Amino acid sequence: MPTRRVFLQNLIRGGILAGLGLLTGSLVFRSRKGGTCRLNISCNACSKNGSCTLVPAFETRQFVWQLDPSKCIQCGRCATECVHTPSAVKCVHVYAMCGYCDLCGGYFKPDTKTLNTGAENQLCPTSAIKRSFIEDPFFEYTIDENLCIGCGKCVKGCGAFGNGSLQLQIRHHICDNCNECAIARKCPAGAFSRVPATSPYLLKGFGKQPLSGDKTGGPESF
Amino acid sequence: MDKLPDKSPDRTIRSLHITAFAGSVFALILSVMLILNFLQMKRIDPLNSRTLILLNERLKTNPEDKTLREEIRSLDLLARKAFFTSQWQIRIGGYLLLISGLVVVISLKTTDFIVKISPDEPGRQKLDFWERQSASRKWIAGAGVVMICSALILAFMTDHELGRDLEHALGGAVAAKGEPANANVGSDKANRENRMVELPADVPGMVSDSVTQSADQPSGFAANPVGFPTQAEIRKNFPGFRGPGGIGIDHHKNIPVSWDGKSGKNIIWKTKIPLPGFNSPIVWDDRIFLSGANETRREIYGIDAGKGTILWTTVIDKVPGSPAKAPAVNKETGQAAPGMTTDGRRVYAIFANGDIAALNFEGKIVWVKNLGVPSNHYGHSSSLIMYKDRVIVQYDQRGSAAVMALAGPTGDVIWKTQRAVKVSWASPVLVHTGTRMELILAAEPFIAAYDPENGKELWRTDCINGEVGPSVAYADGRVFSVNEYSKLTAIQLGEQPRILWEDSEYLSDVPSPVATAQYLFLATSYGTVVCYNVLNGEKFWEHEFDQTIYSSPMMAEGRIYLLDKLGVMYIFNASDKFQLIGQPVLGEGTFCTPAFTDGRLYIRGNNNLYCIGK
Amino acid sequence: MFRKSREFWLLLLLMLLAGSSFAIQRFPRPEFETGYQQPETMLPGPRAEIMAVVDLAVLILALSAVSWMVLKKRSRKGVFWVSMFSLVYFGFYREGCICAVGSVQNVTLALFDPTYPIPLTVLAFFIIPLIFTLFFGRTFCAGVCPFGAMQDLVAFRPKTINSKVDAALGMMPYLYLGLAVLFAATGTDFIICRYDPFVGIFRINAGFSMLLFAAILLLTGIFIARPYCRYLCPYGVLLNWISRFSYRHMTITPAECINCRLCENSCPYGAIKIPNSVKYAETRRQRVRKLMFITLLFPFLMVGGGWAGSRLQETFAGVNRTVKLAKELLVSDQNGQDVESFEIKAFRSSGKPLTEVYQEARIILHRFLIGGWILGAFLGLTTGLMVAGKLLENHQSDYVPDKGACLSCARCTDYCPVMGNTMPTELNHKA
Repeated sequence: MPTRRVFLQNLIRGGILAGLGLLTGSLVFRSRKGGTCRLNISCNACSKNGSCTLVPAFETRQFVWQLDPSKCIQCGRCATECVHTPSAVKCVHVYAMCGYCDLCGGYFKPDTKTLNTGAENQLCPTSAIKRSFIEDPFFEYTIDENLCIGCGKCVKGCGAFGNGSLQLQIRHHICDNCNECAIARKCPAGAFSRVPATSPYLLKGFGKQPLSGDKTGGPESF
Repeated sequence: MDKLPDKSPDRTIRSLHITAFAGSVFALILSVMLILNFLQMKRIDPLNSRTLILLNERLKTNPEDKTLREEIRSLDLLARKAFFTSQWQIRIGGYLLLISGLVVVISLKTTDFIVKISPDEPGRQKLDFWERQSASRKWIAGAGVVMICSALILAFMTDHELGRDLEHALGGAVAAKGEPANANVGSDKANRENRMVELPADVPGMVSDSVTQSADQPSGFAANPVGFPTQAEIRKNFPGFRGPGGIGIDHHKNIPVSWDGKSGKNIIWKTKIPLPGFNSPIVWDDRIFLSGANETRREIYGIDAGKGTILWTTVIDKVPGSPAKAPAVNKETGQAAPGMTTDGRRVYAIFANGDIAALNFEGKIVWVKNLGVPSNHYGHSSSLIMYKDRVIVQYDQRGSAAVMALAGPTGDVIWKTQRAVKVSWASPVLVHTGTRMELILAAEPFIAAYDPENGKELWRTDCINGEVGPSVAYADGRVFSVNEYSKLTAIQLGEQPRILWEDSEYLSDVPSPVATAQYLFLATSYGTVVCYNVLNGEKFWEHEFDQTIYSSPMMAEGRIYLLDKLGVMYIFNASDKFQLIGQPVLGEGTFCTPAFTDGRLYIRGNNNLYCIGK
Repeated sequence: MFRKSREFWLLLLLMLLAGSSFAIQRFPRPEFETGYQQPETMLPGPRAEIMAVVDLAVLILALSAVSWMVLKKRSRKGVFWVSMFSLVYFGFYREGCICAVGSVQNVTLALFDPTYPIPLTVLAFFIIPLIFTLFFGRTFCAGVCPFGAMQDLVAFRPKTINSKVDAALGMMPYLYLGLAVLFAATGTDFIICRYDPFVGIFRINAGFSMLLFAAILLLTGIFIARPYCRYLCPYGVLLNWISRFSYRHMTITPAECINCRLCENSCPYGAIKIPNSVKYAETRRQRVRKLMFITLLFPFLMVGGGWAGSRLQETFAGVNRTVKLAKELLVSDQNGQDVESFEIKAFRSSGKPLTEVYQEARIILHRFLIGGWILGAFLGLTTGLMVAGKLLENHQSDYVPDKGACLSCARCTDYCPVMGNTMPTELNHKA
């Protein structure tokens, strides 16, 4: 009975194809909770303006990992858990938020007596922060990302005593964008999430700043 | 290799083999070195060197020790050098390992291409096909048994206390809340119920962090008991002063932006209200409710939203415990200042003499009582607000300030919490902060939040004083309080709410502010409107209308509607740029805050109620 | 701009009293007099989005190329070079992410977690190899999967694995797939990615255990060809089943098999079915009886497996971060630890109520109970089906590839002495 066998086989093939189609379809056309409407049509399906509950489960956008500095508790695991050594998480200085303090909580150890750049005073274990005099009484702090290991010690200091202009962020030119971020798995604060690749940074600022590609509409290159 | 007749491929193969061997030895040595490096770095951990920490401790007690300082500096340099050198070594080692691996693979592959490896000679598997099948069956079954056994061993090694512990912890928490009857607090459904009254404030088109709050599908609401309205119903209507939750944010569409009271343009109807009252209209389905009172008479009106006819008027009198003479009040407060509220089953109203009444939609009194004449030198003005099937009364009077929840069907006191505050004229605000419902009240000296379920105080922040008139604004986990001669305070909620920023340049006496996740709009009673950045209190813009404003700004469809005392409505965009959309004139003075439904706007003037729309 | 300088000190004091908190403007931005230009914060972007489309195009092209090499050209060399390209592109250039193997988890998560957005490219990486397999057999394994290519490179001295050991070890991918789906569906972990042995090599940067696992697999791979693919790969399970019904699978011989036995041991994966001398060892009645017995056993296998799986509820759930946190919180609330973990600290500062975590943990625990039952039942059923499959095996007289296990690497074609063009499809069904 070869014909019957062939028919049966074709039937199964059709079944598999239909199954795959169903799976794809159910993901593509099913609604997803908590998304933001990208259709920009007033379909009235949403209870709230602009924030829609009927968003397809798929995304044509790409997603990258990023950490939310407002959730970060600077536990130091970014430095150790990343698949990269040194970590793809670096301290980023949001200059627009910086107070240019002489006594910088991110640069100096808390009990520093004399404000000089001696190793005994520096908070950064790799001496990745450069302190330079601008004008009385302001100092500029820049981060050498080649030295930064993403331990977040300076971030903690700046957040506790300063404006919080030092923030940990995943640097996307280093990050491999693993399917599941190894740091996210270990982050105690759950600060890591997948964000759209078009706005890949979650820096927090005071006012309007030319951040996250606000100016260019796309990410800036390093 | 004996098959090969030619000598030269033989030699090639030999050299390839030597290369492969050398490559693998090199790779092996590299691996060992890398592992040693790894172990060493793990052991000494130069960036957290103990010696350095100890030396630093010593320097702290002896800050002038120059040699010690020098020692630390050189040691620190060494540690950092060790760290980066090791990193460099690992990186280079990795590449070298890869290259050597590649050399081994290439040389062996080339050998294989030259000499085809002969596979195992045929017939090595001795057993017959069927015997092999049968053996395989047994082995598969064996694998299944192994899996089950290892599962059971693993299960045996794990303790199974967690489920019970969680149950216990949750049960304890529920009992501590004093509601053992409501044992399904933890269930999904109860969560949804709690979220029902959530009130995120989003501007259209704004990507909001708070979208998770809206995660509940509408279908979830249908499962609610019938005793109180669903979130969807609440949003469809306008159940109280400053809309759902009392935060000044409306969810209706097609709100008119132009009208003219004089020419009657876009005025659908206009109805004279018999008695005065500064309470703002509330709307449920096709009914509008208002109250009015003078020294001798207190009335509640049910008005047909379609035509504006007063369907019924219910007089509230002969209330047990009610004083014979109405308390003396300020002219600008009146006897009927507090806003009414409704849960879609009953309407509730309170008057300056402490009379509170619940009426059904036909105007029949369900219950009525007197809460005691409030000791309030201007007159009681805190509006009512509903939560589930309860009506919540902020009763901040001199001497015995309190907040209480009365059962909607019966008027029984469900809970009552005393408050150590002065008299307040602000109204309660009820919001879902992402994790729970909070009832937020403002009075000197603090802003405090209560659990609407049981009246337990959740938090308080001392940040306000004076005779507090404006209610708080809320959006996206932030509370904004303001009062004249005090300050404007932004409070970030959380486990321990904290003050985000403060400002005292512009302060409001009567109008309450309104906030979105990005902007705070503050209208002062002398007519200045300021838009703040909610994050830091930076001002985006300020605009002077130069008119007295008693009405509170309302946000609807991404626009702010603000009435002045003369009845001019200022409509501007809720954005970081001031952009006036319209300035329609009612032609009658107003104190009240407007109410909204789809396509319509209701304004209570000093004498008339207006319905505006197309 | 900063009119509030007077209030500032008061504010600062308040802030310090309020404790450490995030992003508070304690110090105003200075107004520089020396014309100092504030540097801009550099924000290097990720890989351009369009490159995902390029990846997809490369995937389809590579799949087509391998299928063509296997089915039309019957060229092992061709397959080898395509696989080398894939190794370089998907492996070393793309650093192993995203791969079809891992995409199983993304798809599962998207099915179970309505808030997870699955990028279309990831979905395509999951679906496209399956569709190719349905038409042409496991050509994905042969030349596109970088893991396979890596292991293929080191398979220098493959030994034939005893068929019964092979069959027993063949259960492992089902277990791995089941666990991966369970952990992905509960939003707990992506274990395929976590224990991925080869990305560390592709990135030349990995943790110690990952590299150790890779080294073990590669060294084993010298003697046991493609150990990961045969005894671990969870995606391989799906490919295996779909490949059994593939429309045009590769064949050993281009024409009629002459039973020369040359290819008998050419397959390093033991995926060649050998002709059996006796038609059947048992009578039809005996076989039917055995089959019926096994089939009747299925419900018991499923229930038994499910029960055993459900016993592992807390073992599995212990991996979940919420459950872990709830556990720690329970302990710390009972004993009042002196040093609290970062997790507890982060939780305490988040302002989330304790009951919420407990409730979440309870829900997750319950999901693991159901998941444990399903996983156990699935594995029980798999065991039964595998045993039954060994009973159902047909008699055959030619050397043919085992369509499920065959990785379409085309090695065997090199050994076949028969010349001829590609074979007609009808012959394919003889298998």
